[in-house]
Amino acid sequence: MRRSTIRPRRRPESLVEIYEVFRRSGHKEPFEHCGSVTAPDARMATVMAKECFTRRGEGRHLWVIRRADIHSWSDDSLPDPAADKTYRFAHAYRDVIKKRALARSRAQADAR
Amino acid sequence: MTYEERWTGFEAHIDGGGMVEAGDWMPDEYRAGVLKFIEMHANSEIMGAIPEREQIPGAPSLKRKMSLTAKVQDEVGHAQLLYRVAEDLGKSRDAMYWDLVSGKSKFHNVFHYPTFHWGDAAVIGWLIDGAALVTQASLLESSYAPYTRVLKRICAEEQLHLRHGEDITLELASGTDRQRAMLQDALNRWWLPIIHFFGPKSNVDKDLLLRWRVKTRTNEDLRAEFLDRYVPKVLELGFELPTPVPFKDAASGRWVVNDEDIDWAPLDAIKKNQGPETARRLGLRRRSYEDHRWVREALNDQTSQAA
Repeated sequence: MRRSTIRPRRRPESLVEIYEVFRRSGHKEPFEHCGSVTAPDARMATVMAKECFTRRGEGRHLWVIRRADIHSWSDDSLPDPAADKTYRFAHAYRDVIKKRALARSRAQADAR
Repeated sequence: MTYEERWTGFEAHIDGGGMVEAGDWMPDEYRAGVLKFIEMHANSEIMGAIPEREQIPGAPSLKRKMSLTAKVQDEVGHAQLLYRVAEDLGKSRDAMYWDLVSGKSKFHNVFHYPTFHWGDAAVIGWLIDGAALVTQASLLESSYAPYTRVLKRICAEEQLHLRHGEDITLELASGTDRQRAMLQDALNRWWLPIIHFFGPKSNVDKDLLLRWRVKTRTNEDLRAEFLDRYVPKVLELGFELPTPVPFKDAASGRWVVNDEDIDWAPLDAIKKNQGPETARRLGLRRRSYEDHRWVREALNDQTSQAA
């Protein structure tokens, strides 16, 4: 096919940066990451984010944050903690029903 | 760690169902393969907006004009999301756009064909979006995590597009003889390109994207799902499908086509960017690239930033 003579012009230095976009659907929801946009500043990033991520009223609240300003941590390779830390979870206390029955019968025994 | 050791670790991670994030270590072949794949998807979204846009003036009512316009906007929006994900793999949007408009990179075969009337809007909106959705839904399980996250959003919107296309189709199918003839005409022209859409039989042994779960299913598997799902829907409306004529396989009970009935020559031409509408549509994109240069430059202008 025919080739174009148009070439992308070299830019001295690109000012465009990546902004991560967070969106909240209502006041009872937390902000959630929904994607990213490129923009030269935060104001423009907000405009881009609004166009990209709220076309169907998915949210009225947006945060845009320069990717370079985000500090993150993750480590999938961390082994399961050696110590038993089930006490941090609700399911560790499932036997309250049994314990309640026990306590009740104890109370009845005392009353007698 | 040597490159080979890292490679082995990476494969074990993938084999164990692991996902890959943009900042993770990945083999160069994985990075290049995923980038090319997502770039092609993004190109297809932005080029796919053109044939549909062509039918906006021909829409039969204001409501149809508005809904088709919204759909075109969605497709361009998908391209925005996908180019962003691809950029994070190391190729700038400008370079991708340039490769597209200069004919160096590719976009999906169905967007290389002309449209003629509102019947095209029906078939594109229903069957081509249906085919795209079968493919994209399979990619939700891809190993490249940033891609699956944007696909979630894209698939939700494609579901809506599918309803939109089906709505147009059913309106034509229940209309006048002329309306039905328009739909049949569009089906006759689009059927073979839709069969091509899924690509030729996958080479399972050689396809690294399949091995690394970037793609999760073979081309023929996706085509088979599409045929079994959509052929009965077309036939029950009283329309015919041309060569390769689908039939119900006696053994499996599924709707299929004979592989030897598929003429691959048109797809081979499109792969070389020599489809019927390739040059004209790339020309349109090139023109908009030029027309909007001032916007890119204004966004990037240091002096206006300082003001």
